[in-house]
Amino acid sequence: MKKKKFSWKRVVFWIVLISVVSLFVFPIFWVYVTAFKTNAAIRSTSLAFTPTIENFVFLFTTRNAQVPLLNTIIISVVSTLLVMLISIPAAYSFARYSPSGNTLLFTTISTRMFPGVIAAIPFFLLFRDLNLLDTHIGIILMYVYFNMSFATFLMYGFFVDIPEQVEYAAMVDGYSRLDIIRKIVFPLAKPGIAITTIFTLIWSWNEFFFAFLFTGKVAKAVSVELSLFWGATQIQWGAMAALMCIAMLPTLAVAIFLQKYIVRGLSFGAVKG
Amino acid sequence: MKNKKTTPKKPMSDKQFGWLLIAPLCFVLAVFMLYPTVYAVVMSFTKYLMKGTPTWIGADNYRYILHNSEMWNSLGRTGLTVIICIVFELVLGMLLALLLNRDFRGQGIVRGLCFMPLLISPLAMSLIWSYILNNQYGIVNIILGWFNIYNIPWFSSVSMAKYTIMGMTIWQWLPFSTFVLLAGLKGLPKDQFEAAQVDGSSSWNTFWRLTVPTLKPLIMIIVLLRVMSLIRTYDPLYGTTRGGLGTETFDWYVYRMGFVKYDVGRGTALGVFSLVITLLISNVLYSQLMKALKKR
Repeated sequence: MKKKKFSWKRVVFWIVLISVVSLFVFPIFWVYVTAFKTNAAIRSTSLAFTPTIENFVFLFTTRNAQVPLLNTIIISVVSTLLVMLISIPAAYSFARYSPSGNTLLFTTISTRMFPGVIAAIPFFLLFRDLNLLDTHIGIILMYVYFNMSFATFLMYGFFVDIPEQVEYAAMVDGYSRLDIIRKIVFPLAKPGIAITTIFTLIWSWNEFFFAFLFTGKVAKAVSVELSLFWGATQIQWGAMAALMCIAMLPTLAVAIFLQKYIVRGLSFGAVKG
Repeated sequence: MKNKKTTPKKPMSDKQFGWLLIAPLCFVLAVFMLYPTVYAVVMSFTKYLMKGTPTWIGADNYRYILHNSEMWNSLGRTGLTVIICIVFELVLGMLLALLLNRDFRGQGIVRGLCFMPLLISPLAMSLIWSYILNNQYGIVNIILGWFNIYNIPWFSSVSMAKYTIMGMTIWQWLPFSTFVLLAGLKGLPKDQFEAAQVDGSSSWNTFWRLTVPTLKPLIMIIVLLRVMSLIRTYDPLYGTTRGGLGTETFDWYVYRMGFVKYDVGRGTALGVFSLVITLLISNVLYSQLMKALKKR
Protein backbone atom coordinates (compact mmCIF):
# COMPACT_ATOMS: atom_id res chain seq x y z
CA MET A 1 0.00 0.00 0.00
CA LYS A 2 1.17 3.44 -0.90
CA LYS A 3 1.28 5.84 1.98
CA LYS A 4 -1.01 8.81 1.35
CA LYS A 5 0.44 12.25 1.74
CA PHE A 6 -0.93 14.49 4.43
CA SER A 7 -2.90 17.39 3.07
CA TRP A 8 -4.96 20.10 4.72
CA LYS A 9 -7.59 19.71 2.05
CA ARG A 10 -8.23 16.14 3.14
CA VAL A 11 -8.42 17.11 6.81
CA VAL A 12 -11.06 19.72 6.04
CA PHE A 13 -12.95 17.23 3.88
CA TRP A 14 -13.11 14.70 6.70
CA ILE A 15 -14.10 17.28 9.31
CA VAL A 16 -16.97 18.50 7.13
CA LEU A 17 -17.99 14.95 6.27
CA ILE A 18 -18.02 13.79 9.87
CA SER A 19 -20.05 16.83 10.98
CA VAL A 20 -22.61 16.22 8.25
CA VAL A 21 -22.93 12.53 9.06
CA SER A 22 -23.29 13.18 12.79
CA LEU A 23 -25.96 15.79 12.07
CA PHE A 24 -27.97 13.07 10.36
CA VAL A 25 -27.22 10.30 12.80
CA PHE A 26 -27.05 11.99 16.19
CA PRO A 27 -30.81 12.63 16.72
CA ILE A 28 -31.55 8.97 16.01
CA PHE A 29 -28.62 7.78 18.13
CA TRP A 30 -29.90 9.96 20.97
CA VAL A 31 -33.25 8.16 20.96
CA TYR A 32 -31.41 4.89 21.53
CA VAL A 33 -29.51 6.46 24.43
CA THR A 34 -32.70 7.86 25.94
CA ALA A 35 -34.46 4.50 25.80
CA PHE A 36 -32.03 3.25 28.45
CA LYS A 37 -32.42 6.23 30.78
CA THR A 38 -34.71 6.54 33.79
CA ASN A 39 -37.27 9.31 33.68
CA ALA A 40 -35.28 11.21 36.28
CA ALA A 41 -32.14 10.96 34.17
CA ILE A 42 -34.04 12.17 31.12
CA ARG A 43 -35.24 15.24 32.96
CA SER A 44 -31.83 16.21 34.30
CA THR A 45 -29.40 18.40 32.43
CA SER A 46 -26.37 16.31 33.29
CA LEU A 47 -25.31 13.88 30.61
CA ALA A 48 -24.09 11.07 32.89
CA PHE A 49 -26.51 8.23 33.66
CA THR A 50 -26.69 4.54 34.53
CA PRO A 51 -28.38 2.44 31.86
CA THR A 52 -31.59 0.65 32.74
CA ILE A 53 -34.13 -1.48 30.89
CA GLU A 54 -37.10 -0.27 32.94
CA ASN A 55 -38.61 1.53 29.92
CA PHE A 56 -38.77 -1.69 27.94
CA VAL A 57 -40.21 -3.56 30.91
CA PHE A 58 -42.87 -0.85 31.33
CA LEU A 59 -43.61 -0.98 27.61
CA PHE A 60 -44.28 -4.71 27.49
CA THR A 61 -45.98 -5.14 30.86
CA THR A 62 -48.01 -2.02 31.68
CA ARG A 63 -48.50 -0.66 28.16
CA ASN A 64 -48.87 -3.98 26.34
CA ALA A 65 -46.85 -2.63 23.44
CA GLN A 66 -46.70 -6.11 21.93
CA VAL A 67 -50.31 -5.64 20.77
CA PRO A 68 -49.72 -2.60 18.52
CA LEU A 69 -46.43 -4.11 17.36
CA LEU A 70 -48.19 -7.31 16.34
CA ASN A 71 -50.99 -5.27 14.71
CA THR A 72 -48.52 -3.31 12.64
CA ILE A 73 -46.75 -6.50 11.59
CA ILE A 74 -50.06 -8.10 10.53
CA ILE A 75 -51.27 -4.98 8.72
CA SER A 76 -48.00 -4.32 6.89
CA VAL A 77 -47.41 -7.94 5.88
CA VAL A 78 -50.96 -8.69 4.70
CA SER A 79 -51.37 -5.40 2.85
CA THR A 80 -47.97 -5.85 1.21
CA LEU A 81 -48.86 -9.38 0.09
CA LEU A 82 -52.10 -8.12 -1.45
CA VAL A 83 -50.30 -5.21 -3.09
CA MET A 84 -47.79 -7.56 -4.66
CA LEU A 85 -50.52 -9.92 -5.88
CA ILE A 86 -52.16 -7.02 -7.71
CA SER A 87 -49.04 -5.13 -8.75
CA ILE A 88 -46.72 -7.84 -10.08
CA PRO A 89 -49.05 -8.93 -12.93
CA ALA A 90 -50.09 -5.33 -13.62
CA ALA A 91 -46.51 -4.06 -13.77
CA TYR A 92 -45.48 -6.94 -16.01
CA SER A 93 -48.41 -6.28 -18.30
CA PHE A 94 -47.59 -2.56 -18.52
CA ALA A 95 -43.98 -3.38 -19.33
CA ARG A 96 -44.62 -6.12 -21.90
CA TYR A 97 -48.05 -5.67 -23.42
CA SER A 98 -49.01 -2.06 -22.53
CA PRO A 99 -52.60 -2.82 -23.53
CA SER A 100 -53.80 0.73 -23.05
CA GLY A 101 -50.80 2.64 -24.24
CA ASN A 102 -49.27 4.63 -21.41
CA THR A 103 -52.43 6.39 -20.26
CA LEU A 104 -53.38 3.85 -17.63
CA LEU A 105 -49.86 3.68 -16.26
CA PHE A 106 -49.90 7.43 -15.69
CA THR A 107 -53.37 7.28 -14.18
CA THR A 108 -51.98 4.68 -11.80
CA ILE A 109 -49.07 6.79 -10.67
CA SER A 110 -51.20 9.91 -10.46
CA THR A 111 -53.26 8.28 -7.68
CA ARG A 112 -50.12 8.68 -5.59
CA MET A 113 -50.53 12.43 -6.05
CA PHE A 114 -54.14 12.28 -4.94
CA PRO A 115 -54.45 14.18 -1.70
CA GLY A 116 -55.06 11.71 1.12
CA VAL A 117 -57.51 14.10 2.73
CA ILE A 118 -59.98 13.68 -0.11
CA ALA A 119 -60.15 9.95 0.58
CA ALA A 120 -60.15 10.31 4.35
CA ILE A 121 -63.69 11.57 5.00
CA PRO A 122 -65.57 9.42 2.43
CA PHE A 123 -63.79 6.26 3.54
CA PHE A 124 -64.20 7.13 7.19
CA LEU A 125 -67.98 7.35 6.75
CA LEU A 126 -68.11 4.27 4.51
CA PHE A 127 -66.07 2.22 6.97
CA ARG A 128 -68.24 3.47 9.81
CA ASP A 129 -71.35 2.21 8.03
CA LEU A 130 -69.71 -1.10 7.13
CA ASN A 131 -68.29 -1.54 10.67
CA LEU A 132 -64.78 -1.56 9.27
CA LEU A 133 -63.43 1.18 11.52
CA ASP A 134 -60.79 -0.06 13.93
CA THR A 135 -60.46 -3.37 12.10
CA HIS A 136 -57.39 -4.84 10.49
CA ILE A 137 -59.25 -5.36 7.22
CA GLY A 138 -60.25 -1.70 6.95
CA ILE A 139 -56.78 -0.28 7.32
CA ILE A 140 -55.29 -3.04 5.16
CA LEU A 141 -57.65 -2.04 2.33
CA MET A 142 -56.56 1.58 2.60
CA TYR A 143 -52.88 0.59 2.44
CA VAL A 144 -53.47 -1.68 -0.52
CA TYR A 145 -54.96 1.23 -2.43
CA PHE A 146 -52.28 3.72 -1.44
CA ASN A 147 -49.32 1.43 -2.05
CA MET A 148 -50.30 -0.45 -5.16
CA SER A 149 -49.77 2.42 -7.57
CA PHE A 150 -46.31 3.04 -6.17
CA ALA A 151 -45.48 -0.67 -6.25
CA THR A 152 -46.73 -1.06 -9.82
CA PHE A 153 -44.72 1.91 -11.02
CA LEU A 154 -41.53 0.84 -9.27
CA MET A 155 -41.73 -2.74 -10.55
CA TYR A 156 -42.62 -1.54 -14.04
CA GLY A 157 -39.11 -0.08 -14.14
CA PHE A 158 -37.56 -3.40 -13.22
CA PHE A 159 -39.64 -5.40 -15.72
CA VAL A 160 -38.82 -3.00 -18.54
CA ASP A 161 -35.12 -3.65 -17.89
CA ILE A 162 -35.52 -7.35 -18.68
CA PRO A 163 -34.63 -7.79 -22.36
CA GLU A 164 -37.57 -8.99 -24.43
CA GLN A 165 -35.33 -11.32 -26.45
CA VAL A 166 -35.05 -13.66 -23.48
CA GLU A 167 -38.80 -14.10 -23.55
CA TYR A 168 -38.94 -14.54 -27.34
CA ALA A 169 -36.32 -17.24 -27.07
CA ALA A 170 -38.42 -19.05 -24.48
CA MET A 171 -41.50 -18.67 -26.66
CA VAL A 172 -39.66 -20.31 -29.55
CA ASP A 173 -38.79 -23.15 -27.18
CA GLY A 174 -42.51 -23.69 -26.71
CA TYR A 175 -43.04 -22.07 -23.33
CA SER A 176 -46.56 -20.80 -22.66
CA ARG A 177 -47.10 -17.24 -21.47
CA LEU A 178 -47.61 -18.35 -17.90
CA ASP A 179 -44.52 -20.56 -18.05
CA ILE A 180 -42.51 -17.59 -19.29
CA ILE A 181 -43.68 -15.52 -16.36
CA ARG A 182 -43.04 -18.26 -13.85
CA LYS A 183 -39.78 -19.68 -15.13
CA ILE A 184 -38.10 -16.79 -16.94
CA VAL A 185 -39.41 -13.40 -15.89
CA PHE A 186 -40.01 -14.04 -12.21
CA PRO A 187 -36.46 -15.23 -11.41
CA LEU A 188 -34.99 -12.31 -13.36
CA ALA A 189 -37.25 -9.79 -11.63
CA LYS A 190 -36.64 -11.17 -8.15
CA PRO A 191 -34.40 -8.30 -6.95
CA GLY A 192 -36.93 -5.74 -8.17
CA ILE A 193 -39.78 -7.57 -6.51
CA ALA A 194 -37.81 -7.83 -3.27
CA ILE A 195 -37.02 -4.11 -3.25
CA THR A 196 -40.62 -3.18 -4.00
CA THR A 197 -41.84 -5.49 -1.24
CA ILE A 198 -39.50 -3.89 1.26
CA PHE A 199 -40.53 -0.37 0.33
CA THR A 200 -44.22 -1.23 0.51
CA LEU A 201 -43.60 -2.76 3.92
CA ILE A 202 -41.84 0.39 5.10
CA TRP A 203 -44.62 2.68 3.85
CA SER A 204 -47.26 0.67 5.73
CA TRP A 205 -45.01 0.34 8.75
CA ASN A 206 -44.46 4.10 8.98
CA GLU A 207 -47.93 5.30 7.98
CA PHE A 208 -49.64 7.48 10.55
CA PHE A 209 -52.46 9.64 9.11
CA PHE A 210 -54.87 6.84 8.18
CA ALA A 211 -53.82 4.60 11.05
CA PHE A 212 -54.61 7.45 13.42
CA LEU A 213 -58.02 8.16 11.86
CA PHE A 214 -59.13 4.60 11.15
CA THR A 215 -57.83 2.58 14.10
CA GLY A 216 -58.35 3.01 17.81
CA LYS A 217 -58.10 0.06 20.15
CA VAL A 218 -58.35 -3.26 18.36
CA ALA A 219 -56.23 -2.60 15.30
CA LYS A 220 -54.08 0.15 16.84
CA ALA A 221 -50.79 0.52 14.98
CA VAL A 222 -47.37 1.31 16.45
CA SER A 223 -47.45 4.82 15.02
CA VAL A 224 -50.72 5.46 16.85
CA GLU A 225 -49.32 4.02 20.08
CA LEU A 226 -46.31 6.36 19.70
CA SER A 227 -48.58 9.36 19.27
CA LEU A 228 -50.43 8.48 22.47
CA PHE A 229 -47.31 9.07 24.55
CA TRP A 230 -47.19 12.56 23.13
CA GLY A 231 -50.83 13.19 23.95
CA ALA A 232 -50.38 12.46 27.65
CA THR A 233 -50.15 15.40 30.04
CA GLN A 234 -46.85 14.14 31.42
CA ILE A 235 -44.88 12.93 28.42
CA GLN A 236 -43.12 9.63 29.12
CA TRP A 237 -40.08 10.22 26.97
CA GLY A 238 -38.33 7.08 28.19
CA ALA A 239 -41.06 4.65 27.19
CA MET A 240 -41.67 6.59 23.98
CA ALA A 241 -37.98 6.41 23.06
CA ALA A 242 -37.97 2.68 23.83
CA LEU A 243 -40.91 2.05 21.51
CA MET A 244 -39.36 4.25 18.85
CA CYS A 245 -36.14 2.21 19.04
CA ILE A 246 -38.07 -0.94 18.26
CA ALA A 247 -40.23 0.67 15.59
CA MET A 248 -37.24 2.21 13.81
CA LEU A 249 -35.05 -0.91 13.83
CA PRO A 250 -36.32 -2.49 10.58
CA THR A 251 -36.14 0.77 8.65
CA LEU A 252 -32.64 1.55 9.90
CA ALA A 253 -31.55 -1.95 8.89
CA VAL A 254 -32.86 -1.26 5.40
CA ALA A 255 -30.91 2.02 5.31
CA ILE A 256 -27.67 0.18 6.02
CA PHE A 257 -28.14 -3.00 4.00
CA LEU A 258 -30.13 -1.92 0.95
CA GLN A 259 -28.59 1.49 0.32
CA LYS A 260 -28.03 0.67 -3.35
CA TYR A 261 -31.78 0.72 -3.95
CA ILE A 262 -33.02 3.48 -1.64
CA VAL A 263 -32.82 6.34 -4.11
CA ARG A 264 -34.57 4.23 -6.72
CA GLY A 265 -37.32 3.29 -4.30
CA LEU A 266 -37.89 6.79 -2.98
CA SER A 267 -37.99 8.34 -6.42
CA PHE A 268 -40.63 5.84 -7.57
CA GLY A 269 -38.07 4.26 -9.85
CA ALA A 270 -37.30 7.52 -11.65
CA VAL A 271 -33.66 7.64 -10.54
CA LYS A 272 -31.50 4.55 -10.64
CA GLY A 273 -29.05 5.76 -7.99
CA MET B 1 -64.98 -11.30 -34.72
CA LYS B 2 -67.27 -12.01 -31.82
CA ASN B 3 -67.24 -15.71 -32.59
CA LYS B 4 -63.50 -15.85 -32.32
CA LYS B 5 -63.55 -14.46 -28.81
CA THR B 6 -66.08 -16.95 -27.57
CA THR B 7 -64.47 -20.03 -29.10
CA PRO B 8 -62.88 -21.70 -26.06
CA LYS B 9 -59.91 -23.34 -27.83
CA LYS B 10 -58.63 -20.15 -29.40
CA PRO B 11 -55.75 -18.79 -27.27
CA MET B 12 -55.99 -15.28 -25.97
CA SER B 13 -54.35 -12.49 -27.91
CA ASP B 14 -51.47 -10.65 -26.27
CA LYS B 15 -53.68 -7.67 -25.75
CA GLN B 16 -56.38 -9.65 -23.96
CA PHE B 17 -53.79 -11.37 -21.80
CA GLY B 18 -52.35 -7.97 -20.96
CA TRP B 19 -55.74 -6.66 -19.91
CA LEU B 20 -56.34 -9.76 -17.82
CA LEU B 21 -53.16 -9.08 -15.84
CA ILE B 22 -54.13 -5.46 -15.25
CA ALA B 23 -57.76 -6.17 -14.40
CA PRO B 24 -57.37 -6.47 -10.59
CA LEU B 25 -55.44 -3.20 -10.47
CA CYS B 26 -58.06 -1.45 -12.57
CA PHE B 27 -60.82 -2.77 -10.37
CA VAL B 28 -59.27 -1.61 -7.09
CA LEU B 29 -58.26 1.68 -8.67
CA ALA B 30 -61.79 2.34 -9.94
CA VAL B 31 -63.40 1.57 -6.61
CA PHE B 32 -60.92 3.39 -4.41
CA MET B 33 -60.42 6.39 -6.62
CA LEU B 34 -63.88 7.01 -8.02
CA TYR B 35 -65.85 6.30 -4.86
CA PRO B 36 -64.28 8.93 -2.58
CA THR B 37 -64.03 11.50 -5.37
CA VAL B 38 -67.67 11.23 -6.39
CA TYR B 39 -68.77 11.02 -2.77
CA ALA B 40 -66.70 14.08 -1.84
CA VAL B 41 -68.04 16.13 -4.73
CA VAL B 42 -71.65 15.29 -3.82
CA MET B 43 -71.21 15.81 -0.08
CA SER B 44 -69.44 19.12 -0.60
CA PHE B 45 -72.81 20.60 -1.56
CA THR B 46 -74.50 19.48 1.64
CA LYS B 47 -74.52 20.28 5.31
CA TYR B 48 -73.71 17.13 7.27
CA LEU B 49 -72.15 16.85 10.73
CA MET B 50 -71.51 13.09 10.74
CA LYS B 51 -74.94 12.46 12.25
CA GLY B 52 -78.51 12.69 10.92
CA THR B 53 -79.22 13.25 7.26
CA PRO B 54 -77.29 15.57 4.93
CA THR B 55 -79.19 18.61 3.65
CA TRP B 56 -78.50 20.20 0.27
CA ILE B 57 -77.13 23.72 0.63
CA GLY B 58 -75.71 24.39 -2.81
CA ALA B 59 -72.29 26.04 -3.04
CA ASP B 60 -72.38 27.45 0.51
CA ASN B 61 -69.46 25.30 1.68
CA TYR B 62 -67.27 26.54 -1.15
CA ARG B 63 -68.29 30.12 -0.43
CA TYR B 64 -67.36 29.56 3.21
CA ILE B 65 -63.94 28.03 2.59
CA LEU B 66 -63.00 30.53 -0.11
CA HIS B 67 -63.78 33.40 2.26
CA ASN B 68 -62.12 31.84 5.26
CA SER B 69 -58.87 33.48 6.34
CA GLU B 70 -57.74 30.37 8.25
CA MET B 71 -57.93 28.40 5.02
CA TRP B 72 -55.89 30.95 3.06
CA ASN B 73 -53.38 31.25 5.89
CA SER B 74 -52.87 27.51 6.04
CA LEU B 75 -52.62 27.33 2.25
CA GLY B 76 -50.10 30.18 2.16
CA ARG B 77 -48.08 28.54 4.90
CA THR B 78 -48.05 25.27 3.00
CA GLY B 79 -46.82 27.14 -0.09
CA LEU B 80 -44.08 28.77 1.97
CA THR B 81 -43.09 25.38 3.40
CA VAL B 82 -42.89 23.88 -0.08
CA ILE B 83 -40.70 26.69 -1.41
CA ILE B 84 -38.34 27.04 1.56
CA CYS B 85 -37.86 23.30 2.04
CA ILE B 86 -37.20 22.62 -1.64
CA VAL B 87 -34.77 25.53 -2.03
CA PHE B 88 -32.77 24.42 1.00
CA GLU B 89 -32.89 20.76 0.03
CA LEU B 90 -31.63 21.57 -3.47
CA VAL B 91 -28.89 23.98 -2.48
CA LEU B 92 -27.59 22.02 0.49
CA GLY B 93 -28.15 18.77 -1.40
CA MET B 94 -26.00 20.01 -4.27
CA LEU B 95 -23.22 21.10 -1.91
CA LEU B 96 -23.30 17.74 -0.16
CA ALA B 97 -23.40 15.85 -3.43
CA LEU B 98 -20.33 17.76 -4.63
CA LEU B 99 -18.64 16.92 -1.33
CA LEU B 100 -19.45 13.24 -1.59
CA ASN B 101 -18.57 13.03 -5.28
CA ARG B 102 -15.04 11.81 -4.74
CA ASP B 103 -13.48 8.55 -3.79
CA PHE B 104 -12.86 8.06 -0.13
CA ARG B 105 -12.69 5.13 2.21
CA GLY B 106 -15.95 4.18 3.93
CA GLN B 107 -18.31 5.52 1.26
CA GLY B 108 -20.75 2.70 1.93
CA ILE B 109 -20.94 3.42 5.64
CA VAL B 110 -21.38 7.14 5.04
CA ARG B 111 -24.21 6.50 2.58
CA GLY B 112 -25.96 4.08 4.92
CA LEU B 113 -25.78 6.47 7.86
CA CYS B 114 -27.05 9.40 5.80
CA PHE B 115 -30.01 7.35 4.57
CA MET B 116 -31.29 6.78 8.10
CA PRO B 117 -33.40 9.97 8.47
CA LEU B 118 -35.14 9.21 5.17
CA LEU B 119 -36.63 5.93 6.22
CA ILE B 120 -37.88 6.67 9.72
CA SER B 121 -41.51 7.70 9.93
CA PRO B 122 -42.28 11.44 9.82
CA LEU B 123 -44.16 11.05 13.09
CA ALA B 124 -41.16 9.51 14.85
CA MET B 125 -39.02 12.23 13.28
CA SER B 126 -41.20 14.96 14.79
CA LEU B 127 -41.23 13.28 18.21
CA ILE B 128 -37.43 12.94 18.13
CA TRP B 129 -37.01 16.63 17.40
CA SER B 130 -39.48 17.80 20.01
CA TYR B 131 -37.49 15.73 22.48
CA ILE B 132 -34.02 16.94 21.57
CA LEU B 133 -35.20 20.54 21.27
CA ASN B 134 -37.09 20.41 24.58
CA ASN B 135 -36.61 23.70 26.41
CA GLN B 136 -35.61 22.27 29.79
CA TYR B 137 -33.66 19.10 29.09
CA GLY B 138 -33.33 18.78 25.33
CA ILE B 139 -29.76 17.93 24.35
CA VAL B 140 -29.53 20.74 21.80
CA ASN B 141 -30.42 23.32 24.43
CA ILE B 142 -28.00 21.75 26.92
CA ILE B 143 -25.20 22.07 24.38
CA LEU B 144 -26.22 25.63 23.47
CA GLY B 145 -26.20 26.37 27.21
CA TRP B 146 -22.48 25.62 27.30
CA PHE B 147 -22.09 28.62 25.00
CA ASN B 148 -24.46 30.70 27.12
CA ILE B 149 -27.26 30.57 24.59
CA TYR B 150 -30.54 30.03 26.41
CA ASN B 151 -34.26 29.97 25.80
CA ILE B 152 -34.57 29.59 22.07
CA PRO B 153 -38.34 29.18 21.61
CA TRP B 154 -38.04 26.34 19.06
CA PHE B 155 -41.67 25.30 19.22
CA SER B 156 -43.17 27.86 21.55
CA SER B 157 -43.27 31.05 19.56
CA VAL B 158 -45.40 31.98 16.59
CA SER B 159 -42.48 33.53 14.75
CA MET B 160 -40.23 30.48 15.12
CA ALA B 161 -42.30 27.29 15.31
CA LYS B 162 -43.04 26.97 11.61
CA TYR B 163 -39.38 27.40 10.70
CA THR B 164 -38.36 24.78 13.23
CA ILE B 165 -40.77 22.36 11.60
CA MET B 166 -39.40 23.22 8.16
CA GLY B 167 -35.89 22.64 9.49
CA MET B 168 -36.90 19.18 10.74
CA THR B 169 -38.39 18.34 7.36
CA ILE B 170 -35.25 19.50 5.57
CA TRP B 171 -33.17 17.36 7.95
CA GLN B 172 -35.22 14.31 7.02
CA TRP B 173 -35.25 14.83 3.25
CA LEU B 174 -31.85 16.41 2.56
CA PRO B 175 -30.26 12.96 2.00
CA PHE B 176 -32.79 12.32 -0.77
CA SER B 177 -31.86 15.28 -2.95
CA THR B 178 -28.20 14.73 -2.08
CA PHE B 179 -28.10 11.16 -3.33
CA VAL B 180 -30.24 11.80 -6.40
CA LEU B 181 -27.89 14.61 -7.40
CA LEU B 182 -24.88 12.47 -6.53
CA ALA B 183 -26.18 9.75 -8.85
CA GLY B 184 -26.39 12.44 -11.54
CA LEU B 185 -22.87 13.74 -10.85
CA LYS B 186 -21.40 10.23 -11.09
CA GLY B 187 -23.06 9.76 -14.46
CA LEU B 188 -21.80 13.00 -16.02
CA PRO B 189 -19.86 12.59 -19.27
CA LYS B 190 -16.19 13.09 -18.35
CA ASP B 191 -14.93 14.15 -21.78
CA GLN B 192 -17.09 17.27 -21.88
CA PHE B 193 -15.68 18.41 -18.56
CA GLU B 194 -12.13 17.78 -19.67
CA ALA B 195 -12.82 19.78 -22.80
CA ALA B 196 -14.17 22.65 -20.71
CA GLN B 197 -11.07 22.52 -18.54
CA VAL B 198 -8.80 22.63 -21.56
CA ASP B 199 -10.75 25.62 -22.84
CA GLY B 200 -9.85 27.38 -19.61
CA SER B 201 -13.36 27.58 -18.22
CA SER B 202 -13.36 28.26 -14.48
CA SER B 203 -14.91 25.59 -12.27
CA TRP B 204 -17.64 28.05 -11.27
CA ASN B 205 -18.47 28.52 -14.94
CA THR B 206 -18.34 24.81 -15.68
CA PHE B 207 -20.71 24.18 -12.79
CA TRP B 208 -23.37 26.60 -14.04
CA ARG B 209 -22.93 26.07 -17.77
CA LEU B 210 -22.43 22.31 -17.80
CA THR B 211 -23.25 20.56 -14.53
CA VAL B 212 -26.54 22.24 -13.66
CA PRO B 213 -28.08 22.01 -17.15
CA THR B 214 -27.13 18.33 -17.42
CA LEU B 215 -28.66 17.62 -14.02
CA LYS B 216 -31.84 19.55 -14.82
CA PRO B 217 -34.08 16.49 -15.32
CA LEU B 218 -32.98 15.13 -11.95
CA ILE B 219 -33.60 18.49 -10.30
CA MET B 220 -37.09 18.49 -11.84
CA ILE B 221 -37.77 15.01 -10.51
CA ILE B 222 -36.71 16.10 -7.02
CA VAL B 223 -38.95 19.17 -7.23
CA LEU B 224 -41.93 17.17 -8.50
CA LEU B 225 -41.70 14.48 -5.84
CA ARG B 226 -40.99 16.90 -3.03
CA VAL B 227 -43.81 19.27 -3.95
CA MET B 228 -46.21 16.35 -4.01
CA SER B 229 -45.25 15.17 -0.55
CA LEU B 230 -44.73 18.61 1.03
CA ILE B 231 -48.17 19.92 0.10
CA ARG B 232 -49.53 17.14 2.26
CA THR B 233 -47.55 17.96 5.39
CA TYR B 234 -49.40 16.53 8.36
CA ASP B 235 -47.37 14.06 10.43
CA PRO B 236 -44.54 16.44 11.42
CA LEU B 237 -47.11 18.72 13.02
CA TYR B 238 -48.63 15.97 15.11
CA GLY B 239 -45.52 15.36 17.20
CA THR B 240 -44.77 19.05 17.65
CA THR B 241 -47.31 21.86 17.73
CA ARG B 242 -50.48 20.09 16.55
CA GLY B 243 -51.19 22.94 14.19
CA GLY B 244 -50.98 25.58 16.89
CA LEU B 245 -48.72 28.64 17.08
CA GLY B 246 -49.06 29.59 13.46
CA THR B 247 -47.95 26.26 12.04
CA GLU B 248 -51.20 24.92 10.62
CA THR B 249 -50.78 23.47 7.12
CA PHE B 250 -53.53 22.93 4.60
CA ASP B 251 -53.91 19.23 5.32
CA TRP B 252 -54.08 19.90 9.04
CA TYR B 253 -56.83 22.42 8.39
CA VAL B 254 -58.79 19.87 6.36
CA TYR B 255 -58.28 17.29 9.09
CA ARG B 256 -59.51 19.75 11.71
CA MET B 257 -62.58 20.59 9.65
CA GLY B 258 -63.49 16.96 9.06
CA PHE B 259 -62.38 15.17 12.20
CA VAL B 260 -62.38 17.79 14.94
CA LYS B 261 -65.36 19.91 13.88
CA TYR B 262 -67.04 16.88 12.19
CA ASP B 263 -68.09 19.13 9.33
CA VAL B 264 -68.32 16.67 6.44
CA GLY B 265 -69.67 19.24 3.96
CA ARG B 266 -66.90 21.78 4.41
CA GLY B 267 -64.30 19.03 4.86
CA THR B 268 -65.14 17.40 1.54
CA ALA B 269 -65.35 20.81 -0.14
CA LEU B 270 -61.78 21.39 1.05
CA GLY B 271 -60.85 17.94 -0.25
CA VAL B 272 -62.18 18.78 -3.68
CA PHE B 273 -60.41 22.15 -3.58
CA SER B 274 -57.19 20.39 -2.62
CA LEU B 275 -57.63 17.90 -5.47
CA VAL B 276 -58.00 20.71 -8.00
CA ILE B 277 -54.86 22.46 -6.71
CA THR B 278 -52.90 19.20 -6.70
CA LEU B 279 -53.93 18.37 -10.27
CA LEU B 280 -52.99 21.86 -11.48
CA ILE B 281 -49.58 21.77 -9.82
CA SER B 282 -48.75 18.21 -10.85
CA ASN B 283 -49.79 18.95 -14.44
CA VAL B 284 -47.49 21.97 -14.67
CA LEU B 285 -44.59 20.16 -13.03
CA TYR B 286 -45.13 17.05 -15.06
CA SER B 287 -45.07 18.84 -18.40
CA GLN B 288 -41.95 20.73 -17.28
CA LEU B 289 -40.32 17.42 -16.39
CA MET B 290 -41.20 15.92 -19.75
CA LYS B 291 -39.74 18.96 -21.50
CA ALA B 292 -36.52 18.65 -19.51
CA LEU B 293 -36.30 14.94 -20.29
CA LYS B 294 -36.84 15.50 -24.01
CA LYS B 295 -34.14 18.13 -24.26
CA ARG B 296 -31.60 15.70 -22.86
